[in-house]
Amino acid sequence: MTDAYIIGAGQSDFGSFPGESYRSLFDDAFDEAVASVDGDFDTDSIDEAFLGTLGVGGRQLGLSGPAVTEHLGLHGIPTTRVENACAASGYALRQAVMAVRSGMADVALAGGYEVMTDMSGDHTKWWLGVSGETEWERLSGTTFAGVYAQMASAYMREYGATTEDLSRVAVKNHANGAQNPHAQLGFECSLEDAMNAPDVAAPLNLYHCCPTTDGASAALVASEEVARELSDAPVRVAGAGAASGRVGLFQRESLTGIPASETAARRAYDEADIGPDDLDFAEVHDCFAIAELAAYEDLGFCDRGEAPRLLREGVTDPDGDLPVNTSGGLKSKGHPIGATGTGQAVEAFSQLRGEAHVQVDGANVGLTHNVGGSGGGVTVHVFERADGGAR
Amino acid sequence: MSSDRGIVATGAFVPHLRLDGDEIEAAWGTSAPVERAAVPAADEDALTMAVAAGRDAIESSRFEASAVDHLAIATTTPPLEEEEFGPRAVAALGLEADSTLATATQSTVAGADALRSAARADGPALAVVADAPTGDPGEAGQRVGAGAAAFLFAADGAVVLSDAATRSRDAPGIRFRESGSETVDGLDITTYERETIRDLVSVAVDALDVPADAVTAVALHQPTADIPHRIAKALSYDAETVTRGTLVDEVGDAGAATPALGLLAAIDASEPSSHVVAGCFGSGASATALAFEVRASIQTGLSAALDAGVDVPYAQALRERGTIGETEVAGGGAHVSLPSWQRSIPQRYRLEAGQCPDCGAVAFPPEGACPDCHERVTFESVSLPRSGEIVAATVIGQGGAPPEFVPQQRRDGPFGVAIVEASAAGDSARFPVQLTDCDLDDVSVGDRVEARFRRIYSVEGVTRYGLKFAPE
Repeated sequence: MTDAYIIGAGQSDFGSFPGESYRSLFDDAFDEAVASVDGDFDTDSIDEAFLGTLGVGGRQLGLSGPAVTEHLGLHGIPTTRVENACAASGYALRQAVMAVRSGMADVALAGGYEVMTDMSGDHTKWWLGVSGETEWERLSGTTFAGVYAQMASAYMREYGATTEDLSRVAVKNHANGAQNPHAQLGFECSLEDAMNAPDVAAPLNLYHCCPTTDGASAALVASEEVARELSDAPVRVAGAGAASGRVGLFQRESLTGIPASETAARRAYDEADIGPDDLDFAEVHDCFAIAELAAYEDLGFCDRGEAPRLLREGVTDPDGDLPVNTSGGLKSKGHPIGATGTGQAVEAFSQLRGEAHVQVDGANVGLTHNVGGSGGGVTVHVFERADGGAR
Repeated sequence: MSSDRGIVATGAFVPHLRLDGDEIEAAWGTSAPVERAAVPAADEDALTMAVAAGRDAIESSRFEASAVDHLAIATTTPPLEEEEFGPRAVAALGLEADSTLATATQSTVAGADALRSAARADGPALAVVADAPTGDPGEAGQRVGAGAAAFLFAADGAVVLSDAATRSRDAPGIRFRESGSETVDGLDITTYERETIRDLVSVAVDALDVPADAVTAVALHQPTADIPHRIAKALSYDAETVTRGTLVDEVGDAGAATPALGLLAAIDASEPSSHVVAGCFGSGASATALAFEVRASIQTGLSAALDAGVDVPYAQALRERGTIGETEVAGGGAHVSLPSWQRSIPQRYRLEAGQCPDCGAVAFPPEGACPDCHERVTFESVSLPRSGEIVAATVIGQGGAPPEFVPQQRRDGPFGVAIVEASAAGDSARFPVQLTDCDLDDVSVGDRVEARFRRIYSVEGVTRYGLKFAPE
């Protein structure tokens, strides 16, 4: 079995683009990914593609993957559309890694795309509620903000966390996103702003929720042989963990964490033969502020209930021991559902090549954490500099 | 009919929201026709009120719901113009599917028909009168209210129906609702209306074989508080006897339900060995009078139902009733098909869960692999209690609701959504619920809540009902 490497990764701008389609957004991501390959990359060498999207809006609900690759001129390659809600492209990346590791592909394209801002508010919310547990959870009257707010209510009750703790996630991620030219909400916010925004679903306010976003992202996954040939600094996929969980929050044992995140992380760490202490940075799924707090604990960055302390002490700031969401995270960079997973890989690729907008000094090992729904599907990938940091 | 057959238990339901007459006066600059009116919330209708009152009656009795084998429901406001709503009440109350059903509608005299139907039936029989009329805000809308009363008939009745009489006359136009209209109307020909009502009701009441001097309370047709007294002028009952059975100033004009609630008040006010009389009227016109012998006292539950309420401003009352704020929503409802919804009715109405025969874990809903041991088992049926503890909660504000809940939110404002944990069979199960009838600032994790049968949402013209939860 060959290892799988990322040799190129890129994303479109994340934001609201009435002039773009899901195909044209993917053009931008793909072009940036191809341009990031150090060597002379022939797109005809792509053997297969795995593209993630939820299909918000119901546009090309069937066969949107082939529609994208044909649009790109990757004529005839097998393309699989992957749907696992917000973890769609985390799973697309996993598929590409599996294809390369198995030897069926030398180069596989992983990516994702979503257009979320070109429809009415009611229509948008219809789609934001389709990945919760539909028959019971949604029919109690929730979209995702409501489900994560319930998680927050239980977490705050259990651990005494406060609105201030939730708000620190926004302050940190906006500070990072302000440096990212691709970010949708690339501005800084003060703790006061973040604490006093109007409620979306109490206890979550506007600053505790990511935006809806149009965008696309892509990563080129290659075999060791191709990586050595085409990349000066390929990024090795050291661990690929994934896990499923019950789709509804009410169906799960924990209301304060995401069990599938814990399992996926353990699998990724085991495969990479590292632990959370070995990480230099992480991109975690902060669709809502509570999700970042839960992620710290599910991914083993700290004990249960300790996440607010990590934020308070600056541990996850860019100059802390374990910087989290240097890209701005979903909160500031934006969350085009199907594009988020590979979007996180774009940041990991940049960090490990020393090219990030908010660069972590000496970044050798990083993690990405992508959650579908409120925890029904999770991927965790561990990436390493293949040159051992000696570039 | 056994001579001992009669009412063994009763139930009452009055919506939580109340509109004070002062609000109506402030809005219209004229004196309010009623002192207070109950306002059905956006998630309430005649069916939900009927279920609440019916459940109250069954729970006050010695009978299990499954023992009740006849259900008679009366209302002038069935949720749909055509389609039976009785089967939904049967399912929601937990009656057996072979229960006989009788529905009386189309006029405010309907309540008397339901009472007679249940009185005549064999075995335990439930009569429920539930109504929520609406009217033009400047006319009948100033007095409309809502409520429900339920009467469980069985052997050894505490209150026995001793006689009944009906009179009719071709006299239309007093209270009617045109096809396709939601609002009750009247031609407002004062003398014609008053004389028709008085003549028919008093003649029917007079025809009863009842010792008039033993009658302690009468519940007469009461769209406003003065009408029963006008009727009584043609009878021998004094004002106090009439007042004991007059409730319209507390609940508003609740159509067929007002005289039924009045009958509960009359029973409440009567000692054993006394008699009470009901005189119902429906435009068209007909009157049915019923005489009851009170043999033993009954806890009617009426005062508790009347006391539990909060005042709302006039504009909110209009919104809750759907007079203003109705909206069409883009995007449609969640993709839960009617057949898949229908399959889950035992869970949605009665919280039927399953217990894993291998590990004992309780699963809700009872389908798929066991949530604990993950084995594919056949669950043993267990019922969750209708109350539990909130373990997670949020408030869905304006703009945060899935589209199928937007119409309700426009009418009823932000709503709470919680995960409730209930214990059963040595384990516990969690389920997500919407909260209702509560001040959202006062609800938090750790609170106890109990189930209420309500409208959940409507899609493609079909309203889906289920349980919401309110503070215990």
